[in-house]
Amino acid sequence: MAVPDEDADLVRSAIGGDDDAFAELVRRHKGTVLRSAARFARNPAELEDLGQETFLRVYRDLRSFRGDAPFGHWLSRITVHVCYDALRKRRREEKDVSLEVLAAPVADPSTGNGPSAQLARMILDQAMSRLKPEDRLVITLFELEDRSVREVAELTGWSETRVKVRAFRARQALKRLIGGDDER
Amino acid sequence: MNDKRHDRGDVDLDRYFALARQAPPDISGVERNFETRVMARIREGREPWYALAWRLAPIFLALTILLAGWSLSYPPVHPADPVTMLTSGTQEVALLDNLTGE
Repeated sequence: MAVPDEDADLVRSAIGGDDDAFAELVRRHKGTVLRSAARFARNPAELEDLGQETFLRVYRDLRSFRGDAPFGHWLSRITVHVCYDALRKRRREEKDVSLEVLAAPVADPSTGNGPSAQLARMILDQAMSRLKPEDRLVITLFELEDRSVREVAELTGWSETRVKVRAFRARQALKRLIGGDDER
Repeated sequence: MNDKRHDRGDVDLDRYFALARQAPPDISGVERNFETRVMARIREGREPWYALAWRLAPIFLALTILLAGWSLSYPPVHPADPVTMLTSGTQEVALLDNLTGE
């Protein structure tokens, strides 16, 4: 994990036109950004796009980084916003996604029976693709990235109440989808 | 009955989440040399200005040569107005005209 002060130095150098400094920032934080974006990407090409878009936005807005919080926090907020924008853009494309795979049996992680972790991810991905972008964003950050309501609120810029409401609605919708009842 | 169904739904969903958390997304393919590709796109975003300048360079050069040729092909014109003569640096001509009475 990068030392925040070093990040701030690199940011200053990058603002001054040092490309190597910015490349070092990308090298340090690419893992975090890509792991987070991978929760929203449908394939490696889309993950590449989300990752690149995030760092291009970081580069463009570098001067607005005030340094009062660690660079990583600022970067996470940008990542979340880039992914949210992507979810909203593709919302229309995914309306007709097949739900056949959702009939798979549910596993108990303690016994190891049922679908593998990969299959569970696939099933969740398909079900989550039918959620509203706001709901998908919140449930991903909340359940899959294990973040607190407060963290999700900070990352999205929404109120904690709104985050809780969205998380609740997303869970209800997912239960219906995975249980076999389509919400629409 | 309905509550039981809801409880079951929550349990099932939590199992899915637990399993999905166990399978972190594979980013290794994208992560490799990622910074190189990001920097290439950043440079690509800047390139049009330089590329445009280089592309326009021959046009500027041709224009300069044309203007130089055009200005050399015409002899300087001496204006008749004495004030214009003085401001355009042709005082000598004005003085000569004055002395010769032309």
